[in-house]
Amino acid sequence: METVTLTIDGQSVTVPKGKSVLEAIHASGGHVPYYCYHPGLQVDGSCRVCIVKIEKMPKLQTSCSTACADGMVVTTNSPEVEAARASVFEFLLVNHPLDCPVCDKGGECPLQDYAYSYGPERSRMEFPRRVFDGEGVKADVDFGPTLMLNRNRCIMCTRCERFMKEVDGDAQIGVFQRGVHSEIATFEEKGVVSLLSGNLMDVCPVGAITTRDYRFKSRPWDNPMAVDTICTGCEKGCNTTAWIKAKPEWAKGARLVRLTPRFNEDINQYWMCDIGRFDYHWVESDRRLLQPHVRSSRGSDATPWDEALVAVKAAVDAAGASHARVLVSGHASLEELYVLKQFAGLTGGVTFSWRHRPKPQPANTQFPIPAVDAPNLRGAKDLGFKLGATDSATDVSGLRAAVDTGAVKLLYVIDPGPDGSVGDTEWILAAKQSGKIATLIVQGVLKSALTEAADIVLPGCAFVEKDVTFTNATGHVQPASRVITPPGDAAEDWQILSKVAVAFGATVAQTTAAAVRQAIASECGSTPGYSALADLAFSRPVSARQYMQASNPMERGKWDTMFQDLPPIKFGDDFGPLPRADVIPLKPV
Amino acid sequence: MELILTPHVNTPNGFTLDFYVKQGGYEALRKALSMTPDDVVDVVKASGLRGRGGAGFPTGMKWQFVDKKSSKPKYICCNADESEPGTFKDHVLMERNPHLLFEGCLIACHAIGAKVAYIYIRGEFYHVQEVLEAELAKARAAGFIGKNIFGTGFDCEIFVHRGAGAYEAGEETALIESLEGKRAQPRLKPPFPAVAGLYDCPTAVNNVETLCNVPPIITRGAEWFASLGPEKNGGPKLYCLSGHVKRPGVYEAPMHVTVKELIYGEQYGGGIRGDRKLKAVIPGGSSVPILLPDQIDIPASFDGVMKAGSMLGSAGMIVMDETTCMVWAAENLLYFYKHESCGKCTPCREGGDWLHKLLGRIERGEGQMKDIDLLLSVANNITGKTLCAFGDAAATPVLTTVGLFREEFEAHVREGRCTLKADWRSEARAHAHAH
Repeated sequence: METVTLTIDGQSVTVPKGKSVLEAIHASGGHVPYYCYHPGLQVDGSCRVCIVKIEKMPKLQTSCSTACADGMVVTTNSPEVEAARASVFEFLLVNHPLDCPVCDKGGECPLQDYAYSYGPERSRMEFPRRVFDGEGVKADVDFGPTLMLNRNRCIMCTRCERFMKEVDGDAQIGVFQRGVHSEIATFEEKGVVSLLSGNLMDVCPVGAITTRDYRFKSRPWDNPMAVDTICTGCEKGCNTTAWIKAKPEWAKGARLVRLTPRFNEDINQYWMCDIGRFDYHWVESDRRLLQPHVRSSRGSDATPWDEALVAVKAAVDAAGASHARVLVSGHASLEELYVLKQFAGLTGGVTFSWRHRPKPQPANTQFPIPAVDAPNLRGAKDLGFKLGATDSATDVSGLRAAVDTGAVKLLYVIDPGPDGSVGDTEWILAAKQSGKIATLIVQGVLKSALTEAADIVLPGCAFVEKDVTFTNATGHVQPASRVITPPGDAAEDWQILSKVAVAFGATVAQTTAAAVRQAIASECGSTPGYSALADLAFSRPVSARQYMQASNPMERGKWDTMFQDLPPIKFGDDFGPLPRADVIPLKPV
Repeated sequence: MELILTPHVNTPNGFTLDFYVKQGGYEALRKALSMTPDDVVDVVKASGLRGRGGAGFPTGMKWQFVDKKSSKPKYICCNADESEPGTFKDHVLMERNPHLLFEGCLIACHAIGAKVAYIYIRGEFYHVQEVLEAELAKARAAGFIGKNIFGTGFDCEIFVHRGAGAYEAGEETALIESLEGKRAQPRLKPPFPAVAGLYDCPTAVNNVETLCNVPPIITRGAEWFASLGPEKNGGPKLYCLSGHVKRPGVYEAPMHVTVKELIYGEQYGGGIRGDRKLKAVIPGGSSVPILLPDQIDIPASFDGVMKAGSMLGSAGMIVMDETTCMVWAAENLLYFYKHESCGKCTPCREGGDWLHKLLGRIERGEGQMKDIDLLLSVANNITGKTLCAFGDAAATPVLTTVGLFREEFEAHVREGRCTLKADWRSEARAHAHAH
């Protein structure tokens, strides 16, 4: 690779050719502020806060738009540069309302942080600020089904405009009017309608674009813990961060307050889709299955785990193991599938089912969302399962034919995913109704028509409640970490399966999830990605400040100044270790 | 003195194709097509023709920078977005001598290997567009534009595009953006238009007057052209006289002429209206520093005005007599710059508005002494930090008026009113009421 060597603040730095001065400064450990620059978008050069002095150039240059050249001498901290930068910050705050105390971005706002770090002490502006739609709550206007827009706060970095044009592929946002009256708006009155709209909140460096899902829900210092995990909404496997709100266990409301994308160059770059971002409320909803249920003559009753497992054993014995069939959704993790494989041969057969849902997106989008809503189909294949006649589409015809002939006496459905993740269930309900399936066992996370009809219900964990691994469509084996504890008596699915295995007369040698992963690693080690499973480490909650500094290169500098001036949070700096999943809380939440 | 660009502007029907051909029109194109493109560029380079749009960049060099080896099509963009306050020379050329512009465009296309030229005219020039379109149709019918011109196999088409009316569209990259159908906002440079301009193809953007100078250079030679003016400032130049002169208008003169002659000369401005005293001259459109009466005995050439500490710019001379309130003048200009700022980059977008508000406060008599220093500080903070030259242009009127006429600003603050006997202002208000 060709490199160039330049001097930044007296330090010699070598970077690959073609890098901008701003990237070189950040690579060398220095920092300059920026707003319009975003590593995932094209350079705009309009905010002017990244200006630096470059020797032999008459004016100060924007470092984001200047390419590194051999022998360049860059100064980022001379009095001239600092004064110029401060003047630009003064301009940025001329019309920006100082409503940080009520702004959703307050506390994690680059404008707030940088203005404190680099701006002048006070503004000399004495005129009333420009107001677009009104002040206070009137300033917030609809910006599509997922977003709200506050134009007073906008600093015209045009990241949102460029995101829609370059990544989404449907340039719905434009700048209207001119000069100081410039405003962000959509060409159609309905606002931004896109499956990637949530990213606009991420790219917005101020509180101008907020999501309806997160606004007014929490402040950055209220959710000081963040966990690196992945999204399991589809086969893409976007890397995400889950944010936990600090609150006592008895307090109302969810602990998981938002999911944001995490940089992964190979998979999702800086982005994630709205389905993954906003569709997490089911995790802590009232519809969660909290306890095992067994149907008796009195109806379906909550029972302890041991009684439920006895009931499973009785049901398997009554039906005969070879007349029992297993239906697995694509949401089952590698660990769960491995355990299932240990007794799959004793059953009548394992069938996979998932939802195929093409997403309405522009044809030229740079971030296509797969139609397959299953995070682990590739992993199932790698473990040696057969998905159906074709790998791409759900094929349950064999199972349905067997049910129709009455060969299936027991159906065991495993679905640790949200509604619909096991595909069409109408036919199961019909078969159960007509008595073609004598016994229905459902292992899942949410109450549904299927669990209502089931004879035995086993409550499992959602993807943010267990340490498990998934293999996405491109073969990346990725860990999804435990973010929060599961509700009620819900247990990790691989553990449930290893106990159900006993009912089928099999024994699972592995007693910990780590041992299961080691077994997978030794079995699939020749497939790329799997050998690392042997000693995989999961992300644990870390303070948001540490997290941002460590993981997201794009936002590295933004968080440098966060939380420094604040008094200690009421819950202290550390939650301590999260309770283990198999320890049952005294009172269901 | 022989008029080269504007000989027939006052002749009835002097703008028509028949008249132009009778005067030997399109012969320069015939001659240029018999030369190689490189020779045409060399002749223009040798003539020392400098861009008439404002920066005075050598035209031949600009054409030479166009990447001829590129496999992409090349374009000529004629910058006819004449929006600088005090400038109205291109308007005259397009309205009264359109075929000279067409011929210049065609020769430029031949020189850089382009097949298409776009004339981007200002949104307010709708009547000029009609003239251009009509004459373009005639020239096309006569075979001067289109396929196989003069049987030489040279194909060239000219399109007229009228913008939506923005000062910023006169910046060359903003012009290109606007031509592509986007907002007229400047691009980052590099890459320069010569490498990646219109539709990402090599492009040369030239002013109307610049292109109009090309046919005479081809016909009569580079040496003749250079000999018309002082060294490195050759050729004829159009001067736009406006403000408090007796005969405002467009005057053609070689660049030997002095600013003083232009204002007081009988064949030019004819002196100050009402024989009042001269107070200040803005020599090159509103964006350049002011010249004081004792500074005007200088050649009105690029280098001459530069030496005096200002710029020739677009040669739009705004003459202000002793009754002019400089605070009002600055506020007036800043209203324009605030209104025309494209809003892309921060200092110009926010700073222009702030300056205008400050000036308005002082002009209304509500200002404080600290506002004057604040004006200078804000203007200095804009200068040199913007994406294009607009920011510098917007700050200049403030820096130069406060720098030269600070006592007037202080008087406004002290007295709470304008201390000048400015009867024109009450006249202007009376007119406004009458309408």
